[in-house]
Amino acid sequence: MAFLDNSGDIILDAVLTDTGRMRLAKGDGSFKIAKFALGDDEINYELFDKNHPSGSAYYDTEILQTPVLEAFTNNTSVLKSKLLSISRTNLLYLPVMLKNTLSGKLKNTGGDCNSLIVLVDKTTRDQFETNRPYLRGDTLRDDTADPILIDQGIANNAIGNGDDVALDADLVETQYIIEIDNRLGFLADPTTATAATPSFVDDDNIASYYISTTTNTNFFPTGQQGTAMSGDMLAGPRGSRLALLIGPSTNLATSTYLFTQLGSTSTFGAAADTVRHIDTTIRITGATTGYRVDLPIRFIKYP
Amino acid sequence: MATTFKTLTANDVTNTRTLLHEAIPLTGTIVSGTYTDQNVKTYTHGMFESTFDYPYLSSSANHIIDITAGYSSTSVVSSSAAVQNSKKINIYNQMASVLVGHDVTGGIQQFDRDGDIAGGGTKIEDAVFFVNFSRLLAKDEIKKGSFTTTFLTGGTPSTVQPNANHSALTIGDYGAATSYLVNSPAGEYAILYTSSATPNANSGRGLLYYQAGVAVFSGSVFESGAVGGAGGVLEGTQMGPGFASASFQNLMTGSTIEILAASIRNRIQDISFNNTVELNSTIYFCRANNNEFNYSSNPTYLNSSEIRVKNTTSDNPVAYITTVGLYSSDNELLAVAKLSEPLKKDPNTELTIRVRLDY
Repeated sequence: MAFLDNSGDIILDAVLTDTGRMRLAKGDGSFKIAKFALGDDEINYELFDKNHPSGSAYYDTEILQTPVLEAFTNNTSVLKSKLLSISRTNLLYLPVMLKNTLSGKLKNTGGDCNSLIVLVDKTTRDQFETNRPYLRGDTLRDDTADPILIDQGIANNAIGNGDDVALDADLVETQYIIEIDNRLGFLADPTTATAATPSFVDDDNIASYYISTTTNTNFFPTGQQGTAMSGDMLAGPRGSRLALLIGPSTNLATSTYLFTQLGSTSTFGAAADTVRHIDTTIRITGATTGYRVDLPIRFIKYP
Repeated sequence: MATTFKTLTANDVTNTRTLLHEAIPLTGTIVSGTYTDQNVKTYTHGMFESTFDYPYLSSSANHIIDITAGYSSTSVVSSSAAVQNSKKINIYNQMASVLVGHDVTGGIQQFDRDGDIAGGGTKIEDAVFFVNFSRLLAKDEIKKGSFTTTFLTGGTPSTVQPNANHSALTIGDYGAATSYLVNSPAGEYAILYTSSATPNANSGRGLLYYQAGVAVFSGSVFESGAVGGAGGVLEGTQMGPGFASASFQNLMTGSTIEILAASIRNRIQDISFNNTVELNSTIYFCRANNNEFNYSSNPTYLNSSEIRVKNTTSDNPVAYITTVGLYSSDNELLAVAKLSEPLKKDPNTELTIRVRLDY
């Protein structure tokens, strides 16, 4: 996409997304705009210079000169970071979401291509499962003891230790949106290992799951929320901990077609076996706080 | 409660309708000459010919007009001896049924010179040619009162236009901006006159159907005799290069539709009109109040949870808007709008961003 001409008046370049056009084409009334959000995808706040020698009027000079790209029509490529409405203006710290790499399934994944590994079938599991933090696609129930964990809260203890100080209620994330390529995998309940039902699957086969603290309690481990959450990832006040499992799609488990189409081959395991793999990313977004983390996943099939 | 979405109320959405016009100048050199007819496509069925704005085998070519011709079965020129007699009648009937419609008995009505179909009067039936404009040119409709065309009515047109030295006849839908007819099943239409000064029944040379994008011309464009007749060439001896025809009537009876269309195409000096696009828009007023959208979830907004744009709690939060997303109630992104430059948002400012979606 090109940059928008920013030499004159501010202009607005508006387009329907591919999903918008798909819904419009359906003609079933599903194309109905109900709300809006504002985004700042291009902005790098590191350019905000609070020590500019010319004073506060110059703090954001570089930010305001940021060129803006034309609108993407792919609905998953834009609005990756949204602006937040919080009525209080005196906040100095905001919660983040971190992948818990010290416990749960993400522990010690660094040695395996920095991705969480999903073994898609029994043959692959039999070959590689030994004592490694892999998700076992054919027996997900065996992974309920140590699911993937996402912790939300203040990363530092400047406003208090998270064991003692609770995160302000209006900053606690209560709903998560989890997006995954529906051709490759699915979200599973971390307690029962059963597949969750996506809220919708868009035109690019991206499935969106809405997981709420009130209706999907299995995804929020009891005794691990707020101050009860272990502080290994977040030193400051903590909000909610999300647990989840990812399973492989039937296509990946039973066929090599998508591995040929979308993936590649590599060597894996202690014996450097040749395997097929597909790399993808799962996007986890806080519906109320807007914060987002991307979780890289590698689906592996042997041989 | 922190939020990233704001619901649009009924007061934030409005609908508008705008008519956009663009000028379409079609010179004779495009339809005959420049591309030595490589931009003209003929068909084995021989019912019409298509003209493109570039050699039609190129993917860059755009279809611009079709030309065909015919006459009524009751015309004086209709004869079993005429070349492609039935095809010419079929063309006339097809166009008449679409543009004029049927009478109470189901019979196809003929084109009427003054548009008063029920009142009888002179029909355009003996030698009629049709110029059908592609949707690319006509869009939703031709703008009323904007159409003019000039035909070379005399001499022998050369293969390279324009033929400025030949006699020419300009006709247009003069006065149609305020006076047009609505008794066609194909929408509104007006009479094409030879003069803007005193349009009258005798100066009518055809009909222009605005929404259909079809110009219907009487052979009287090339007529030297009585108005409304089959028509004869005013001057000269040939309708087009290589077509030895003493008159339009001669051409109409003795030539194929393909040759007729080519001859007429070579006689077009220019065509000019404005098209119209009916733009229906929905405008969304995205209002950011002073206490809204002042923080960001941008990964660079925080440094280990600390907000980068603040030094102390008393500093105002600030964020920069580059994008507006319009969502369904189930949080699907349906439309997106980008600002040409970042817009600063802090508690001292309130913004209303007007996003218009055109359909």
